[in-house]
Amino acid sequence: MADTHKEWLKELETASKAKQKSFIDSISSKLGRPRPMEKPAHPFRGAPDFWRSFEWSEEERIERFSANFKAAGGHVARLASYDDAKQFIVDKAAEMSAQYIIRQGQPELEAMNLEAAMPDAHISVWNTNQEENWRARAAEADFGVVVADYAVAYTGSITVLSAANKGRSVSLLPTVLFAIIPLERLKTRLGEALINFDQAGRENLPAGIHFISGPSRSADIENDLTIGVHGPGVVYALFVG
Amino acid sequence: MSTASTKPSTVKERAGLALNDEFLRKAVKFTTERLRSGKKTASEEHGNWDDWRERGRQIRLHTIAHLDYYLNLFADNARANGVNVHFAETDVEAVKIALAIAERKQAKSIVKSKSMVTEELHLNHALEKIGVEAIETDLGEYIIQLAGETPSHIIIPAIHKNRYQIADLLSAEAGETLAPDTQILAGFVRKKLREKFLEADIGMTGCNFAIAETGSMVLFENEGNARMVSTVPKTQITLMGMERIIPSFEDLEVMATLLPRSATGQKLTVYMSGITGPRRTEDADGPDEMHIIIVDNGRSNQLGDPEFQELLNCIRCGACLNACPVYRHIGGHAYGGTYSGPIGAVLTPALKKDESQWDDIANASSLCGACYEACPVKIPLHDMLVYLRRRKVESGNGNLAEKVGMKGFSTLLGGSKRMRGVIRLGQLGQKLVERDGGIRIKLGPLKGWNTYRVTPSLPKQSFRDRWSTIQRETQAEGAVLDPALKARMEAVVAERKQGGGSKHGGHA
Amino acid sequence: MKVSLFITCLSDAIYPRVGEAMVRLLARYGVQLEFPTVQTCCGQPAFNSGYWDDARKTATTLIEAFEDSDFVIAPSGSCIGMIHHYPKLFEKDAVMLERANRLQAKSYEFTQFLVKVLGITDVGATFPHKVTYHPSCHGSRLLGVKEEPIALMNKVKGLELVPLPFAEDCCGFGGTFAVKMADISGAMVTEKVDHVLETEAEVLVGLDMACMMNIAGNLRYRDKPVRVMHLAELLYEGVK
Repeated sequence: MADTHKEWLKELETASKAKQKSFIDSISSKLGRPRPMEKPAHPFRGAPDFWRSFEWSEEERIERFSANFKAAGGHVARLASYDDAKQFIVDKAAEMSAQYIIRQGQPELEAMNLEAAMPDAHISVWNTNQEENWRARAAEADFGVVVADYAVAYTGSITVLSAANKGRSVSLLPTVLFAIIPLERLKTRLGEALINFDQAGRENLPAGIHFISGPSRSADIENDLTIGVHGPGVVYALFVG
Repeated sequence: MSTASTKPSTVKERAGLALNDEFLRKAVKFTTERLRSGKKTASEEHGNWDDWRERGRQIRLHTIAHLDYYLNLFADNARANGVNVHFAETDVEAVKIALAIAERKQAKSIVKSKSMVTEELHLNHALEKIGVEAIETDLGEYIIQLAGETPSHIIIPAIHKNRYQIADLLSAEAGETLAPDTQILAGFVRKKLREKFLEADIGMTGCNFAIAETGSMVLFENEGNARMVSTVPKTQITLMGMERIIPSFEDLEVMATLLPRSATGQKLTVYMSGITGPRRTEDADGPDEMHIIIVDNGRSNQLGDPEFQELLNCIRCGACLNACPVYRHIGGHAYGGTYSGPIGAVLTPALKKDESQWDDIANASSLCGACYEACPVKIPLHDMLVYLRRRKVESGNGNLAEKVGMKGFSTLLGGSKRMRGVIRLGQLGQKLVERDGGIRIKLGPLKGWNTYRVTPSLPKQSFRDRWSTIQRETQAEGAVLDPALKARMEAVVAERKQGGGSKHGGHA
Repeated sequence: MKVSLFITCLSDAIYPRVGEAMVRLLARYGVQLEFPTVQTCCGQPAFNSGYWDDARKTATTLIEAFEDSDFVIAPSGSCIGMIHHYPKLFEKDAVMLERANRLQAKSYEFTQFLVKVLGITDVGATFPHKVTYHPSCHGSRLLGVKEEPIALMNKVKGLELVPLPFAEDCCGFGGTFAVKMADISGAMVTEKVDHVLETEAEVLVGLDMACMMNIAGNLRYRDKPVRVMHLAELLYEGVK
């Protein structure tokens, strides 16, 4: 009888490991040969060969990303600098009467200093102290501001990774999402972003890797498209550089 | 979900109900056509679709052929990431584990994103029985949960409901009348479920793919609810079919290329999330505790079976449903199980070893092969349906009248003289029922057929009867075989002898 | 060079004029089709329903009939498709398996033989009518017969080919399916005929008499005067 939750989980783990062995052995036996102890040869790993050489120029990438993102209902803007991006957000806040903003604690955003440009707004910076209920801050926010880790032109996607200063909620809970994308992070193919995760290896992966390809949507009611179901209904991809 | 005894028990009976439901047929037709054409456009735009399908097939075949290696690798890596990994051979075991975790956490509410596996396990029902509220958060699933129904399509679960029915359901939940307008209805659900996300004790998800080499799990969705349930609540439970594995993130590119295009025609779903373990100590969101329950429930029956192992390739995209003419006419509920359409017709019996438990679901197909053509990982579902029929017959669970009929058929047509006799009998016997070259009576074996058609009458002379005349006349014409044609035929024969194979047909 | 006709039980009993058209058309090129009378049925109905022992009985008559043929031609994609299943059907019998493989390698649907083997696309036919084409499932999906009939029809003088909406959708025959799941089958053929009527074609042409019989049956039931023909019949009529 486990006294603490930790002990209970430990008990489950012991039982589970034993179960794992019989589960896996049963698979080997059904497949009719002993369990492979070495990594099996995997000749068809990843995309077909002809795909790997497929690449667009930077201009094409921006153009195609924009076309895809807009087709999904998102907005795209190209800005010269973080200062311009800041101004863009400030203008949108005025336009939409946004009061509550939450941003990641990323160095680029620290430097951007949205707070100085919008002294009257409530701007929270993710996870800057232990006591705050950050999920609630994100939930009440009108705007969420992040800097993307990657972007993919072929699918029109923005990639964000979680970390201490990069909350998953910041790109999910607010009504409007602003994703700043440094141009050099824009790739052509999905595989170009994904390969990084294989190369990083298990121990170096963040808890959350999220590809975002537009505003949240559903067509569950009579096939009628509705935007903004659970995730942000308005998404801005801001290219900087 | 067995309710009153008045619920029809065969696919044929349920199909009869569906065929009489005008709205259902229109809705299913409209939806499947939209999704079908979406897929066609997306796959053509992408190009080299068959090369990608073959790639997807190879990756899945490889993984399944080494499932012991990859599943073990996944489990070890997930554990190393801090995930509590559990194995469940049966649906009962899986439910037991999930309930134990919920009880341990003293959970009052669970928010769920879409998971066909949880439907298979009837997990919501079990949770409710121990006083845990399990709330579906996918818009379509939420709607049918309120209606007390099961999904009728893998991707769009509520296509059988119209906006008025949905408005009624949601109005009852809201405690006020909501207009039958999509924006308004969706707006209500967003607000209502937002509260639920924030206060739920446990978030429950399915798993589209598990990455063996890193112990990560991947979710594809459009609404954002799967991200919600895996970010906000403090505990996460993921249910995963044991075969939903691929080796690496590189392989994910292939699946991410095939799945969204096949399902809805999108280049990528709005959200694709890779979750590697519970939150890091320094993270301020994400679950503190994460569980993955790996479910067998009959899947391992297919391993080592050359006729069915490929069934485990399935990535649950729903393309076969959208291509299937039978599904288009009868919708998902007629299939009578968790999974519908062509994949359902094969999976439902295949997951149950005991043939005496199989109903007539494998008969609800004209074997047209549209499912195979649509499948992004090339599962020969149309062949598998025939194998299922054979297994049912050979295990002694076939239809006796049909068995006798087939015996008669093979006896009568087992020899050409007997066949001639049968045709002669038909030519004579039809005189009683034939009129103007057509037979219209709706009796006996002709009843079903003649409800929609006129049966042609047999001509006085069969081809065999005419043969000697035809042969004589054509030989008398004495046309000479052009040497060029002769050469072509000889070339083909020569190539054949060298093992050229049947290049003129047949599928991989 | 022994080129044999596999008549198929449907054409034998109900549509002998299709087999006749094939024979006469090929005879014009000096290709004299032989008709080994031992053949009965490809075994599809029994095979598809899971009665493989019974299927093997009738399948054996075909293997015997065409043992020494160089080419076996049938006016049906589904029956030739069935022959492609013979290796699976006889996989447990080494002797029959070898014979089944040999038969599969030399079996062709009619337009496959005409276009791919003989290289003929223009038979010199004239057929001044509005025609629409239904590509039967087994022939097009499983045998890959897609361009051959189109190539042949494009060379027929005066023929106006109108595309059939959702042409690749199954007509609902499926053999015993039409009897076992009669209402679903009925719904499918009704939809198929709706599309045929949309084209306002005078003639519906196809490569498989099972489908044609099914569609013709519904057309007749609804008193629609669309003429239903096998492509072999159309071509032969066009050259007579």
